[in-house]
Amino acid sequence: MVTCMAAATVMDDVFRALADPTRRDVVARLTSRSASVSELAEPFQMALPSFVQHLRVLESSGLVRSTKAGRVRTYHLVPQRLRVAEDWLAGQRDMWERRMDRFEAYVTEMPADVVDEGA
Amino acid sequence: MSTAFDPAFDLMVERVVPVSAERAWTAWTEPQHVRRWYAPAPGDISECEIDLRPGGVFRFVPRQPDGTENPITCCYLEIVPFRRLVWTNALRPGYRPAPDGFFTAVMTLDPVGDATRCRTVAMHRSEDDRAQHEAMGFHHGWGTVLDQLVTYAPSV
Repeated sequence: MVTCMAAATVMDDVFRALADPTRRDVVARLTSRSASVSELAEPFQMALPSFVQHLRVLESSGLVRSTKAGRVRTYHLVPQRLRVAEDWLAGQRDMWERRMDRFEAYVTEMPADVVDEGA
Repeated sequence: MSTAFDPAFDLMVERVVPVSAERAWTAWTEPQHVRRWYAPAPGDISECEIDLRPGGVFRFVPRQPDGTENPITCCYLEIVPFRRLVWTNALRPGYRPAPDGFFTAVMTLDPVGDATRCRTVAMHRSEDDRAQHEAMGFHHGWGTVLDQLVTYAPSV
Protein backbone atom coordinates (compact mmCIF):
# COMPACT_ATOMS: atom_id res chain seq x y z
CA MET A 1 0.00 0.00 0.00
CA VAL A 2 2.95 2.33 0.61
CA THR A 3 3.40 3.15 -3.06
CA CYS A 4 -0.28 3.91 -3.54
CA MET A 5 -0.50 6.03 -0.41
CA ALA A 6 2.65 8.01 -1.20
CA ALA A 7 1.40 8.64 -4.71
CA ALA A 8 -2.01 9.60 -3.35
CA THR A 9 -0.48 12.10 -0.91
CA VAL A 10 1.63 13.72 -3.61
CA MET A 11 -1.41 13.81 -5.84
CA ASP A 12 -3.46 15.48 -3.09
CA ASP A 13 -0.82 18.22 -2.80
CA VAL A 14 -0.77 18.68 -6.55
CA PHE A 15 -4.56 18.79 -6.83
CA ARG A 16 -4.80 21.20 -3.92
CA ALA A 17 -2.22 23.49 -5.51
CA LEU A 18 -4.21 23.39 -8.74
CA ALA A 19 -7.56 23.95 -7.04
CA ASP A 20 -7.25 27.67 -7.75
CA PRO A 21 -7.75 29.23 -11.22
CA THR A 22 -4.86 31.68 -10.81
CA ARG A 23 -2.47 28.87 -9.99
CA ARG A 24 -3.77 26.71 -12.84
CA ASP A 25 -3.16 29.58 -15.23
CA VAL A 26 0.40 29.98 -13.95
CA VAL A 27 1.08 26.26 -14.44
CA ALA A 28 -0.48 26.31 -17.90
CA ARG A 29 1.76 29.21 -18.95
CA LEU A 30 4.88 27.64 -17.44
CA THR A 31 4.31 24.56 -19.60
CA SER A 32 5.43 26.63 -22.59
CA ARG A 33 8.33 28.50 -20.95
CA SER A 34 9.82 29.70 -17.68
CA ALA A 35 8.82 33.21 -16.59
CA SER A 36 9.63 35.89 -14.03
CA VAL A 37 7.30 36.88 -11.20
CA SER A 38 6.35 40.12 -12.95
CA GLU A 39 5.65 38.34 -16.25
CA LEU A 40 3.46 35.80 -14.47
CA ALA A 41 1.63 38.45 -12.44
CA GLU A 42 1.01 40.75 -15.41
CA PRO A 43 -2.40 39.36 -16.59
CA PHE A 44 -3.88 39.46 -13.07
CA GLN A 45 -5.60 42.34 -11.29
CA MET A 46 -4.11 41.30 -7.99
CA ALA A 47 -1.81 42.80 -5.39
CA LEU A 48 1.69 41.43 -5.85
CA PRO A 49 1.95 39.95 -2.32
CA SER A 50 -1.25 37.93 -2.95
CA PHE A 51 0.11 36.70 -6.25
CA VAL A 52 3.44 35.77 -4.68
CA GLN A 53 1.49 33.74 -2.12
CA HIS A 54 0.00 31.68 -4.98
CA LEU A 55 3.50 31.07 -6.31
CA ARG A 56 4.58 29.85 -2.87
CA VAL A 57 1.72 27.34 -2.77
CA LEU A 58 2.74 26.04 -6.19
CA GLU A 59 6.38 25.81 -5.16
CA SER A 60 5.61 23.93 -1.93
CA SER A 61 3.58 21.39 -3.91
CA GLY A 62 6.68 20.73 -6.02
CA LEU A 63 4.90 21.69 -9.24
CA VAL A 64 7.26 24.62 -9.83
CA ARG A 65 10.66 25.74 -8.62
CA SER A 66 12.26 29.16 -8.74
CA THR A 67 15.73 30.57 -9.33
CA LYS A 68 16.94 34.07 -8.54
CA ALA A 69 19.32 36.11 -10.66
CA GLY A 70 19.97 39.56 -9.23
CA ARG A 71 16.54 41.00 -8.39
CA VAL A 72 14.64 38.76 -10.79
CA ARG A 73 13.05 35.53 -9.59
CA THR A 74 12.18 33.13 -12.38
CA TYR A 75 9.75 30.24 -12.08
CA HIS A 76 10.10 26.92 -13.88
CA LEU A 77 7.73 24.01 -14.24
CA VAL A 78 8.75 20.69 -12.66
CA PRO A 79 7.23 18.30 -15.22
CA GLN A 80 7.85 15.17 -13.13
CA ARG A 81 5.49 16.49 -10.49
CA LEU A 82 2.67 17.20 -12.88
CA ARG A 83 3.16 13.73 -14.32
CA VAL A 84 2.27 12.33 -10.92
CA ALA A 85 -1.20 13.71 -11.52
CA GLU A 86 -1.49 11.83 -14.76
CA ASP A 87 0.04 8.59 -13.50
CA TRP A 88 -2.10 5.82 -14.82
CA LEU A 89 -2.77 4.02 -11.58
CA ALA A 90 -3.45 7.30 -9.84
CA GLY A 91 -5.99 7.98 -12.55
CA GLN A 92 -7.66 4.65 -11.91
CA ARG A 93 -7.68 5.33 -8.19
CA ASP A 94 -9.25 8.72 -8.77
CA MET A 95 -11.93 7.09 -10.91
CA TRP A 96 -12.73 4.47 -8.27
CA GLU A 97 -12.77 7.02 -5.45
CA ARG A 98 -15.24 9.17 -7.35
CA ARG A 99 -17.32 6.13 -8.30
CA MET A 100 -17.47 4.95 -4.69
CA ASP A 101 -18.42 8.46 -3.58
CA ARG A 102 -21.40 8.23 -5.91
CA PHE A 103 -22.20 4.72 -4.73
CA GLU A 104 -22.20 5.91 -1.14
CA ALA A 105 -24.44 8.88 -1.91
CA TYR A 106 -26.80 6.81 -4.07
CA VAL A 107 -27.20 3.77 -1.84
CA THR A 108 -27.80 6.00 1.18
CA GLU A 109 -30.71 7.71 -0.59
CA MET A 110 -31.97 4.62 -2.42
CA PRO A 111 -35.74 4.19 -1.98
CA ALA A 112 -36.60 1.68 0.74
CA ASP A 113 -38.97 -0.20 -1.57
CA VAL A 114 -36.36 -0.83 -4.25
CA VAL A 115 -38.69 -0.84 -7.24
CA ASP A 116 -37.72 -2.17 -10.64
CA GLU A 117 -38.21 0.79 -12.95
CA GLY A 118 -37.86 -1.45 -15.97
CA ALA A 119 -34.92 0.62 -17.17
CA MET B 1 -10.46 -17.37 -2.74
CA SER B 2 -8.31 -14.47 -1.62
CA THR B 3 -5.86 -12.67 -3.84
CA ALA B 4 -2.56 -11.05 -2.84
CA PHE B 5 -2.56 -7.28 -3.03
CA ASP B 6 0.19 -5.85 -5.24
CA PRO B 7 0.60 -2.13 -4.53
CA ALA B 8 2.30 -1.53 -7.87
CA PHE B 9 -0.72 -2.60 -9.89
CA ASP B 10 -3.67 -2.84 -7.54
CA LEU B 11 -5.76 -0.37 -5.69
CA MET B 12 -8.32 -0.66 -2.95
CA VAL B 13 -11.16 1.74 -2.27
CA GLU B 14 -13.69 1.27 0.49
CA ARG B 15 -16.67 3.03 1.97
CA VAL B 16 -18.89 2.21 4.93
CA VAL B 17 -22.49 2.86 3.90
CA PRO B 18 -25.45 3.15 6.30
CA VAL B 19 -27.53 0.44 4.63
CA SER B 20 -27.80 -3.35 4.75
CA ALA B 21 -25.58 -5.58 2.62
CA GLU B 22 -28.75 -6.60 0.72
CA ARG B 23 -29.45 -3.02 -0.33
CA ALA B 24 -25.82 -2.38 -1.22
CA TRP B 25 -25.85 -5.57 -3.30
CA THR B 26 -28.95 -4.39 -5.14
CA ALA B 27 -27.24 -1.11 -6.01
CA TRP B 28 -24.33 -3.05 -7.53
CA THR B 29 -26.26 -5.70 -9.42
CA GLU B 30 -29.43 -4.19 -10.92
CA PRO B 31 -29.04 -2.07 -14.07
CA GLN B 32 -31.57 0.58 -13.11
CA HIS B 33 -29.51 1.27 -9.99
CA VAL B 34 -26.03 0.84 -11.47
CA ARG B 35 -26.90 3.42 -14.12
CA ARG B 36 -27.57 5.99 -11.44
CA TRP B 37 -24.12 6.02 -9.85
CA TYR B 38 -21.51 3.84 -11.61
CA ALA B 39 -20.09 6.62 -13.80
CA PRO B 40 -17.60 8.75 -11.88
CA ALA B 41 -18.87 12.35 -11.87
CA PRO B 42 -19.39 14.33 -14.02
CA GLY B 43 -20.32 11.62 -16.54
CA ASP B 44 -23.30 9.30 -16.48
CA ILE B 45 -24.24 5.83 -17.74
CA SER B 46 -26.42 5.78 -20.85
CA GLU B 47 -26.86 1.99 -20.95
CA CYS B 48 -26.27 -0.91 -18.57
CA GLU B 49 -26.74 -4.63 -19.14
CA ILE B 50 -26.32 -7.26 -16.44
CA ASP B 51 -26.60 -11.03 -16.60
CA LEU B 52 -25.80 -11.90 -13.01
CA ARG B 53 -24.11 -15.29 -13.24
CA PRO B 54 -20.55 -16.50 -13.76
CA GLY B 55 -19.70 -15.89 -17.41
CA GLY B 56 -22.58 -13.41 -17.67
CA VAL B 57 -22.30 -9.96 -19.19
CA PHE B 58 -21.69 -6.73 -17.33
CA ARG B 59 -21.83 -4.05 -19.99
CA PHE B 60 -22.10 -0.33 -19.39
CA VAL B 61 -21.75 2.77 -21.49
CA PRO B 62 -20.22 5.76 -19.71
CA ARG B 63 -21.16 9.06 -21.32
CA GLN B 64 -18.92 12.09 -20.87
CA PRO B 65 -20.46 15.56 -20.47
CA ASP B 66 -19.50 16.28 -24.12
CA GLY B 67 -21.59 13.26 -25.23
CA THR B 68 -18.66 10.90 -25.88
CA GLU B 69 -19.62 7.29 -25.16
CA ASN B 70 -17.17 4.45 -24.53
CA PRO B 71 -18.91 1.09 -24.01
CA ILE B 72 -17.12 -1.25 -21.61
CA THR B 73 -17.91 -4.96 -21.69
CA CYS B 74 -16.96 -7.19 -18.78
CA CYS B 75 -17.57 -10.79 -17.73
CA TYR B 76 -18.72 -11.79 -14.25
CA LEU B 77 -16.45 -14.39 -12.68
CA GLU B 78 -17.87 -14.96 -9.24
CA ILE B 79 -21.18 -14.10 -7.61
CA VAL B 80 -21.83 -14.69 -3.91
CA PRO B 81 -25.11 -12.88 -3.20
CA PHE B 82 -24.82 -10.03 -0.70
CA ARG B 83 -21.12 -10.80 -0.13
CA ARG B 84 -18.85 -10.81 -3.14
CA LEU B 85 -18.84 -9.88 -6.82
CA VAL B 86 -15.91 -10.43 -9.19
CA TRP B 87 -15.72 -9.25 -12.80
CA THR B 88 -13.10 -8.51 -15.44
CA ASN B 89 -12.72 -6.89 -18.83
CA ALA B 90 -9.93 -9.36 -19.66
CA LEU B 91 -12.67 -11.81 -20.69
CA ARG B 92 -15.72 -11.29 -22.82
CA PRO B 93 -19.04 -12.68 -21.59
CA GLY B 94 -18.93 -16.48 -21.84
CA TYR B 95 -15.24 -16.41 -20.81
CA ARG B 96 -13.94 -15.65 -24.31
CA PRO B 97 -10.52 -13.93 -23.98
CA ALA B 98 -10.61 -10.22 -24.70
CA PRO B 99 -7.67 -8.66 -26.55
CA ASP B 100 -7.70 -5.38 -24.71
CA GLY B 101 -8.71 -6.14 -21.12
CA PHE B 102 -6.61 -4.90 -18.27
CA PHE B 103 -8.41 -5.25 -14.96
CA THR B 104 -10.24 -7.59 -12.59
CA ALA B 105 -12.38 -6.06 -9.87
CA VAL B 106 -13.34 -7.75 -6.60
CA MET B 107 -16.15 -6.11 -4.66
CA THR B 108 -16.92 -7.39 -1.16
CA LEU B 109 -19.63 -6.45 1.32
CA ASP B 110 -19.23 -6.95 5.06
CA PRO B 111 -21.90 -6.07 7.62
CA VAL B 112 -20.59 -3.68 10.30
CA GLY B 113 -23.39 -3.30 12.84
CA ASP B 114 -26.30 -1.73 10.95
CA ALA B 115 -23.96 -0.54 8.21
CA THR B 116 -22.02 -2.29 5.47
CA ARG B 117 -18.39 -2.01 4.50
CA CYS B 118 -18.08 -2.01 0.74
CA ARG B 119 -14.55 -2.67 -0.49
CA THR B 120 -13.43 -2.75 -4.08
CA VAL B 121 -10.02 -4.06 -5.12
CA ALA B 122 -9.06 -3.45 -8.74
CA MET B 123 -6.15 -5.51 -10.04
CA HIS B 124 -4.36 -4.34 -13.18
CA ARG B 125 -1.98 -5.79 -15.71
CA SER B 126 1.79 -5.48 -15.50
CA GLU B 127 3.91 -2.41 -16.16
CA ASP B 128 4.64 -3.32 -19.79
CA ASP B 129 0.96 -3.64 -20.55
CA ARG B 130 0.31 -0.42 -18.75
CA ALA B 131 2.93 1.38 -20.82
CA GLN B 132 1.27 -0.03 -23.90
CA HIS B 133 -2.13 1.21 -22.77
CA GLU B 134 -0.67 4.65 -22.27
CA ALA B 135 0.73 4.52 -25.80
CA MET B 136 -2.70 3.43 -27.04
CA GLY B 137 -4.30 6.55 -25.71
CA PHE B 138 -4.71 6.27 -21.98
CA HIS B 139 -1.86 8.73 -21.69
CA HIS B 140 -3.24 12.21 -21.25
CA GLY B 141 -1.74 15.33 -22.77
CA TRP B 142 -0.97 18.33 -20.61
CA GLY B 143 -4.09 20.13 -21.71
CA THR B 144 -6.35 17.20 -20.95
CA VAL B 145 -4.83 16.78 -17.51
CA LEU B 146 -5.38 20.43 -16.71
CA ASP B 147 -8.94 20.28 -18.01
CA GLN B 148 -9.61 17.30 -15.76
CA LEU B 149 -8.03 19.05 -12.81
CA VAL B 150 -10.32 22.02 -13.36
CA THR B 151 -13.24 19.62 -13.05
CA TYR B 152 -11.84 17.64 -10.17
CA ALA B 153 -10.14 20.28 -8.08
CA PRO B 154 -13.21 22.14 -6.76
CA SER B 155 -14.25 19.02 -4.85
CA VAL B 156 -10.85 18.58 -3.16
